[in-house]
Amino acid sequence: MAGVMGFLEKVEIFCFAASYGVALALELVHLVAPRPILRYVGLGFGLAGLLAQAIYISVQPVPLGAPAGSLLFLALVLAVFYCYGTVHHFRLAWGLFVLPLMLVLIGLAVLLREVGVSREYEGAGTWVLVAVHVATLLLAAVGVCVGFIASLMYLVQLHRLRAKLPPGQGMKLLSLERLEAMNRRAILWAFPLLTAGLLLGVALQIQGGYFGEGWTSPKILSGLGLWIVFAILLYLRYAIHVRGRRVALLTMVAFVVLLVTFVTPGHSFLPGGTP
Amino acid sequence: MNLLLVGCSYKTAPIELREKLGFDGPKLIAGLRDLEALYGCEAAILSTCNRVELFLARADAGGPDADLIAEFVAQFHGLEVSAIRPSLYTRYGIDAVRHLFRVASSLDSLVVGEGQIAGQVKRAYETAHTEGTAGPVLHVLFQQAHAVAKRVRTQTGISRGHVSVSSLAVDYVQQVFDHFGDKTILVIGAGKMGELTLRHLKALAPRRIFVTNRSAEKAAQVAAGCGGQAVPWEALDDALARADIVLSTTGAPEPIVTRRRFDDVLARRSGGTMVILDIAVPRDFDPAIHDGDRACLFNIDDLQRIRDQTLKERHKSVAPAEAIVEREVQRFLGDWNRRRHGPIIAKLTQEFEARRQAIVAQLLAKLNGRLTPEDRAYVEGAFKLLQNQFLHGPISALAEETPGEGSQHTLLEALRKLFRMEG
Repeated sequence: MAGVMGFLEKVEIFCFAASYGVALALELVHLVAPRPILRYVGLGFGLAGLLAQAIYISVQPVPLGAPAGSLLFLALVLAVFYCYGTVHHFRLAWGLFVLPLMLVLIGLAVLLREVGVSREYEGAGTWVLVAVHVATLLLAAVGVCVGFIASLMYLVQLHRLRAKLPPGQGMKLLSLERLEAMNRRAILWAFPLLTAGLLLGVALQIQGGYFGEGWTSPKILSGLGLWIVFAILLYLRYAIHVRGRRVALLTMVAFVVLLVTFVTPGHSFLPGGTP
Repeated sequence: MNLLLVGCSYKTAPIELREKLGFDGPKLIAGLRDLEALYGCEAAILSTCNRVELFLARADAGGPDADLIAEFVAQFHGLEVSAIRPSLYTRYGIDAVRHLFRVASSLDSLVVGEGQIAGQVKRAYETAHTEGTAGPVLHVLFQQAHAVAKRVRTQTGISRGHVSVSSLAVDYVQQVFDHFGDKTILVIGAGKMGELTLRHLKALAPRRIFVTNRSAEKAAQVAAGCGGQAVPWEALDDALARADIVLSTTGAPEPIVTRRRFDDVLARRSGGTMVILDIAVPRDFDPAIHDGDRACLFNIDDLQRIRDQTLKERHKSVAPAEAIVEREVQRFLGDWNRRRHGPIIAKLTQEFEARRQAIVAQLLAKLNGRLTPEDRAYVEGAFKLLQNQFLHGPISALAEETPGEGSQHTLLEALRKLFRMEG
């Protein structure tokens, strides 16, 4: 048992990052010289990376509340999304869009490895509330990422149509309608979770007795900014029926705000200042 | 292997002659049965609109020659042999194998990379198999041809993309829409050119089809033909505002939908992207309408340009595809020779083995007591090496032998005589 644990503890970020990197390289080769075997092998590397990453997250002490932990968890969910999408849409260039995003998130996690858990979480009330707060925000982030991928694919497909590129050549993508629906579902999934996560944050502040303090911290501001972008998205989509390119672009803005939320320092309202 | 191919294609015979030489339906069955009965050989017939080819084979030497088969074809179709002979080509042995592999891989097709021919080759084999005219040679040959075609299709870009205008139009529609049960198609005009595209679009099972035409009578006629609903010409803008896919095929001398008119339509429209397939000449829609977001307009020039691009891309795959075919031809030849010469190679090896063992036993008996176990092993090994080196040449030559043009004097015969082997 100790031997197995010792082996599992040897799994490093490099292991799964390299697996995803190889899967991406194979996708790029497939784009130039399409061969089904390349996609099968790429999927194999993706699955190996997924397994290694799951082991790493389970074994290594990287709390989800820390930026690195959050980013790695997000990348893990996207790895599942990549494997599922590749199996489900084997002929589509799914990996070309998901894998780079996963690698960016892992890269950011490496950069932010030294940043610890937000002080808010350390001092905050019940453990359950904190866990739900973190989980809802992370799941909302998954929705933002999926929306971003769908939007990116949408814009590429739109470009292909605008330029009247041959449908049989180059990368194969889902239809505009399908991508728009995917984006819409991702937004509808993310917005309530984001709202719930933010409200839970407020509840934690009230419970901790420091409500209203530190609201100017970049993390809270960017979180609120993300919520506002989402509110605008929903308003445009459902109130004034804006569709297509503009919704895709705004979803990409939401993703950028999400990244800012992840990389900005934690809350500074607790005694002891910014972690 | 004694394989003969006699046939004609779009390269050697005009359509009128190909039509006369076609083996379709009952003719195909009768032709196969006659060939087997008359010449006692395996037979398969590939008959398509672009080619008619007869494959005849015997596992051993002998069989009909090309002139005899040409006479058969002429007689079967009630034609003069002199009228068809110049249009027929003949391939023997390995050339016939190569030809079939190229045909199945659509390298010999009018439109390189077209997908139908592989299925037609498969059906030709299945018919011969069902009729019992395919034997050991044709079984292996056609199954291998199917595998080669699949390899060429998957390992090269030879069949990538569509090359018919109507299929390309539908490809574009499918890049925009995912499901069609809630979509409305508007057909403007009643041009013949749009018929095939409309048939493809109808196969997507849209919610409804509107048809409009300057002549209400023609609109009603087209609507009845496609299960659609005729719309008055005056209501064109309303219909446009409700349509998701527009197929325009009028014979109007000027564009019927200008940019300004279309902007008014868009202002009244609540749906998403509209796909407009303008296959009329002259064009019905102002090209400036295309913005790739709210409206995707594809006219006949776009579709033909894309078709040309696709064909150009396909032609880039011809050389790699030919290389695959050639590799597979050589592999087929090697496999076939191994299968064919297996018994004789086994016999040759056995005879040499027996002689070597006898000689080595004699030698070792004579040297008994004077050799260490290592020396004995060395002597045995040396004789075995000599045997292998001696047999390597003939066995390799057999495996590499190219089946000749029905020649009786094969390498196999020569080996049988040289080594005095029976059977």
